[in-house]
Amino acid sequence: MTRKLRPYDVPPRRRRALIPASSDSAAALFMVVGVLWLLVATGIGVLAAGERLFPDILKFTFSVPVGSGITVDVSRSTVDAAFLDALVYGWLTNAGIAAILFITPRLTGERLMSDTIANLGLGAWNLAIAAGIALLYVKGASSAGALAEFPLPVKLLALLGLFTVNGVFWRTVLPTRTIGYISLLYFGIGLLAALGLLALATIPNVLSLGATNDQLLWAFTARGIVTYWVLGVTLGTLYYLVPRVARNPLYSGPLAMLAFVGWLGFAGLSAIGALVDPSVPYAVTTIGQAGTLLLLAPTYLAIANMLATIRGRWSLFLSPGVIPLAVAAMTMLAGAALLESVGALRSVQRLTTGTDWGLGVLVISLLGGSTLAFFAFIEHAAPRMLKRAWRGTLMTLGELWATFAGVTLAGLAMILGGLAHGSLLAQGGTPDQLNLTLLGFRLVAAAGLGLAALGGLTLVVNLFTLYTAGEPVEVLALAPQPQDAGAPRGAGALEPAGR
Amino acid sequence: MTPHTPIQARTGLPAWALGLTVFVLLVGAVYAGSNLSGENPPIIGGPSASAGGGGPAAALAIINQAGCKACHGQDLNGQPPTFPSLHGLQNGPTVDNLQQLGKAHPKDWMNIWIAGTDKSVSDPAMRKGMPAFSGPPQNLTDAQIEIVVQYLLTLK
Repeated sequence: MTRKLRPYDVPPRRRRALIPASSDSAAALFMVVGVLWLLVATGIGVLAAGERLFPDILKFTFSVPVGSGITVDVSRSTVDAAFLDALVYGWLTNAGIAAILFITPRLTGERLMSDTIANLGLGAWNLAIAAGIALLYVKGASSAGALAEFPLPVKLLALLGLFTVNGVFWRTVLPTRTIGYISLLYFGIGLLAALGLLALATIPNVLSLGATNDQLLWAFTARGIVTYWVLGVTLGTLYYLVPRVARNPLYSGPLAMLAFVGWLGFAGLSAIGALVDPSVPYAVTTIGQAGTLLLLAPTYLAIANMLATIRGRWSLFLSPGVIPLAVAAMTMLAGAALLESVGALRSVQRLTTGTDWGLGVLVISLLGGSTLAFFAFIEHAAPRMLKRAWRGTLMTLGELWATFAGVTLAGLAMILGGLAHGSLLAQGGTPDQLNLTLLGFRLVAAAGLGLAALGGLTLVVNLFTLYTAGEPVEVLALAPQPQDAGAPRGAGALEPAGR
Repeated sequence: MTPHTPIQARTGLPAWALGLTVFVLLVGAVYAGSNLSGENPPIIGGPSASAGGGGPAAALAIINQAGCKACHGQDLNGQPPTFPSLHGLQNGPTVDNLQQLGKAHPKDWMNIWIAGTDKSVSDPAMRKGMPAFSGPPQNLTDAQIEIVVQYLLTLK
């Protein structure tokens, strides 16, 4: 009912919430914060590469006169840990949750349980990760153990954030009984696994298990986060994007289910493979490492399923947009899965442990495969979330090729450098020989990470241009893109604004 | 309201997918079956490369990974007096503050110093052990320390 205004009345001012609770607001915020984390992560990545080139120059230790004195330590170990944390927990987790919150309502047909509660999760999670990464540099504040080293209050805050997002997801999905969608299966297991693993990593902060058990628990957690959470949410996102953009049904539902069941089992086994210590039976570790090798099968089956889905629409690959990004992501994921399988073999491990091999594989998998998959997600979702008419531009190509080339260069340089490093050590090489041999590899790795950082920067510019230069639309009928030409207009072609 | 945009899927499982799965399962089973006995290297301290076998290669792997060179230099000559040289330790410590430790434990003073287990050192901050006196769990294991010590004793 409209109240009739008297002449001296002023129409009531419309109040805008600082964080809007409208549809997709949580997804949009997670996406924007994730992109900012990408800049931080790639920046720290360049610093990590610099640490390898100039370890003595880029090492800072200084005291801050606060309380009883705080010692800040910036060195290779702290920078490496910060790089992985910013990449996995900052960029990939925020982008992954953005994808989950965007895709879930569209697959279930129900509005998200609450964008406001999801936004609270966003605040808790990112506050925790920012504090955790800052505390990495404070001597004695964090434990040793990649992706699991935060102090107790930080972990509790992060757990609160993840718990909130889990709650929103499950409260949205369960009443609709639509968990059978392959993307939702990956999202559900990934979210539960991330919550469970982070809770597991909190145990050493509360109970005294002994230094060795702490390290084992953290190693298991770190591997599980990568295989269950990051890989799961990446595959779940691609399973939504590829059929949606190619406008083809998924090539095979049973194949997707076979890959999912394989991933569910082997991702856990692979985490057991990280338990490398004399206190763990050798056979148990071997079976875990076989799990890493076996993880190749579900990854390849999922990728093959999606590539087969694009069949008949390969022309999409030629125009900037979601499909080239998704295909590049799948290429990187396939390469990383193969390298992880090779790296899990005992003979290779003996040669490469303590070298940059492991970081190189992670760069290809996380900064390559998963990052490009989420670039594809942003390319698809950002115009819909921000309600702008937009299509792939040259900047989309810039994102793709800068990231793809940079990650390939950096990853291969680290992997080959790791092999050279291990070989020299096995031959009893001197430190001088090592440094001279590895210099070239480290230079290429630094250049590659710089190029990947440029890819992230291009994404930010692309998003900014989309928001400022893209035409706002009340009814978001995206003009048919070149890749859409000839495709039937279905439910995915038109999306009313505000939905 | 968000539009309901379900993903459709074809039915049917292609034979090649089953073949690939069986093949990878077989490879995994063969690998696991042929690697059931042995001993894992230690996890603590991170550097576990080739640590099981000892020798200069294993020692250098530990030294590289533990970050010893960050203070003691690429050639382990250090930057005296803050960071002592790690060469010429065959006859005992070369710096003043470790002379007492060297006399009390002539055979294993280096192990004690790196592990940080010398109770006679009054400053607790200096008792936490190498690397970088950061305390457990960053410290190296006894086995790793022994490998490093044996290597350092060879440096003239």
